[in-house]
Amino acid sequence: MNDRVVITGLGLICAIGSDVDECFDNALAGKVGIKEVKSVEHSGCYAHIGGENNGFVTPDGEDRASALCIKAAEEAVADSGEGVFDDPSRVGVVIGSCVGGAVSIEKFYRDYVADPDKASGEDVLKMPISAIANNVALRFGAQGAVDNVANACAAGTMSIAIAADLIRSGKADAVIAGGSDPMSSLAFSGFHALHALDDEPCRPFNKSKGIALGEGAGVLIVESYEHAKKRGAKVYCEVLGSGVSSDAHHITAPAPDGEGMQAAMERSLGNSGIKASDVDYINAHGTGTPLNDSSELGAMLRVFGDEGNVSCSTTKSMVGHCLGAAGSVEAVMCVKAIERGIVPPTAGYADGDISLMREKAGNFDFVPNKGKQRKVEYVQSNNYAFGGNNASIIYAKEDAPRKLAEPNDERVFVTGFGIVGPLGNTAEEYAANVNAGAEAKKCEECGDFVSSVGREDFDAVGIKLGFYRKLDKLSQMTCVSGKRALANAGIEVTDDNARRIGIVAGTSDGPQTEIANFQKGIIENGTEKGSAFMFPNTVYNAAPGYLSIAAGIKGYNVTLSNGAASGIAAVAFAKRALLTTQNDVILAVGADEDSETVHMLYGKIGALGKGMILGDGATTVVLERGSSADARGAKKYAEVLGSGFAHCPTEFGKYGCADKLKEAIALALAESGITEKDVSTVVTCSNGTESLGKAEEAALAGLAGAKRVNVKALCGESRAASSALSVAHAAMMLGGMIDGDAGKYVLALGASAGGSYNAVVLAKA
Amino acid sequence: MNAKQQAVADRIADYLSENLRLPRETITYDIPLFGDGIGLDSVDSLEIIAGMDLLFGVSLIGAHDSIFGSIRTLSEYIVNHPDFKGIKK
Repeated sequence: MNDRVVITGLGLICAIGSDVDECFDNALAGKVGIKEVKSVEHSGCYAHIGGENNGFVTPDGEDRASALCIKAAEEAVADSGEGVFDDPSRVGVVIGSCVGGAVSIEKFYRDYVADPDKASGEDVLKMPISAIANNVALRFGAQGAVDNVANACAAGTMSIAIAADLIRSGKADAVIAGGSDPMSSLAFSGFHALHALDDEPCRPFNKSKGIALGEGAGVLIVESYEHAKKRGAKVYCEVLGSGVSSDAHHITAPAPDGEGMQAAMERSLGNSGIKASDVDYINAHGTGTPLNDSSELGAMLRVFGDEGNVSCSTTKSMVGHCLGAAGSVEAVMCVKAIERGIVPPTAGYADGDISLMREKAGNFDFVPNKGKQRKVEYVQSNNYAFGGNNASIIYAKEDAPRKLAEPNDERVFVTGFGIVGPLGNTAEEYAANVNAGAEAKKCEECGDFVSSVGREDFDAVGIKLGFYRKLDKLSQMTCVSGKRALANAGIEVTDDNARRIGIVAGTSDGPQTEIANFQKGIIENGTEKGSAFMFPNTVYNAAPGYLSIAAGIKGYNVTLSNGAASGIAAVAFAKRALLTTQNDVILAVGADEDSETVHMLYGKIGALGKGMILGDGATTVVLERGSSADARGAKKYAEVLGSGFAHCPTEFGKYGCADKLKEAIALALAESGITEKDVSTVVTCSNGTESLGKAEEAALAGLAGAKRVNVKALCGESRAASSALSVAHAAMMLGGMIDGDAGKYVLALGASAGGSYNAVVLAKA
Repeated sequence: MNAKQQAVADRIADYLSENLRLPRETITYDIPLFGDGIGLDSVDSLEIIAGMDLLFGVSLIGAHDSIFGSIRTLSEYIVNHPDFKGIKK
């Protein structure tokens, strides 16, 4: 099996430098880059510091998150040498981010509050996290798997784990992977409102008074070993196994027992086939908040003991917390530590602090203040996020012994659905309405198709007022759809199976309404008056985070964001995750909301009034391993056979390239072992937009005999909800819930404005 | 409750309904805000502290936990606070 994945290029920009060597040398010297913040107005705040890179000026017309990422990616690509992009269709881009285009979001709403007409559609296209990977793909011409990971502060680590999985499953030869986040009023105000900022440079695992925000981007070229060797590339190190888990505890706070963190750490060790005692260095999450530090330290002491054999540091003490970029900035530090045999320190220890630490952590080595030379063969890097998402990954010296967990070769089935949308709030209601030819709910003033979730929906799924009042609409729809899906599949979450049930969520636009309301509040009242209530909901993974809490799900938890196809991409991704992780069941969720704000944003980019009607909703497709479905006698609606994706480097916001949709279809058919003539039904992705319609017609020229179905004609362009619904609809046709003979094989399609195309093949179970 | 305190109490109830997404009819003057009543949590209390500052110019930082008991206790604290000069927002 081709399981060797290596790092062949590095790029980094953060508060302590503008390239890898500058940052790493400064880190080794314990240089703290946390000082008075320049880019955010903070005069009324109790804290004023953070880790910015003031030397990096965002180029005119660009968003800072994308610009930082491209800067680091340019360094990484140059570092990786010749030949990495020989076949662009085999090159992917996976970028993690938490706040994405937050600087452009602030600019847009400042303009909007002053004069709604003045606010520009160009800024709208810079807002979503989706834009970042698309911009990177456009810059380097990558045409493979392009995606963004939106799991807040764990996103940077997950992006590298996902890149490695893509390579191991044969979907790419090389991936530009990493994370990027700017300093922003959104994050500064939000963490300030939560009283989570330290007014002095943060001192993780020491004084633990709060975080310092940072900014930056870390980018790594993650490549298959064979590909790297064939082109004679320099190999920094190998990427071994990873582990992802959920706390199912609280939307912002980690579970005090640190069990979820421990599970992620143990999974990354187990999936690498190494022992805790093999690990030489841990780059801890170590944010500096009292809650994180005590939960994390407890978990590390349980996994690694307190003998002091392993060195552990948190580079956030020097660069600040770079949120979605944190894991990737830290990954670069880890890789350099392996290369040079020296580990970076934790800054901020004063005389006397060390002896105090001994009392709670024995001889555990926090590498105070200065880098330390030592054997560095295996490194673990850990990150934890809002939503209770935990991620851990192992990097190792080239050729270091390991035994990676082997993927299983089980078949994957659709065993349930939860559909919240303009045609009803359960799968049964959706099917009945489709079968009856009923019209979907529309908003009278705006003409959009709309979902509505109310108290009766929460009562039906057992979610109480104290919980659901916290939710924004995106989270409401996601929670109801996910809980309905579990019920529909007949799955009861228990202590025994909670860690074997996961979530892969996809969203195009995330919680744009809550983000807008939060940002407008700051503009009106000042950075110091941000809403602590709203802030947790502004991260894209809040909705699936709430679902994990409401349902008690403690397994895998990844949130993807890459335009409207994010929902179908989540299905394809979930299938792969069932084969490569320790999960029996994964809820693949596609969700996007509509609101006055979202309608206005789509109006600003000129997407409305040209045949496309917006909609919203959340669709959950329950994917399950055959062994698990058989063991509990579950009804199998359909089998997920294969998937394909292709990317056409396109200006973000535009469709194009029929040949890339055709390529995605060809890849999906090939993986499924069927040909065009076997396909009996196609669930199409066209949404009324002329350019997409034409691309799809051209791509489907060889499938003229297949029946066509389009869910967006039924309930609008609900983006990720629609593309997941395309899969659900296909499975419901195959499973007999929706009338009309679907035949044996159904092809479902997804398209994103930005150039990404997805195809999934389902078969009668 | 005199008219001044009642006006403050009603403004607080409206604020909680709007900002903590609580059904307005559940918020009476005496229902316990934390614990068994409407079950607010630590993040909600941060929102309340910020809101009282915004609406009335009164800082609750360092105030005794007991004033967070109900709308009645909160409004009483606010109208008797030296910084209170009327409803700002």
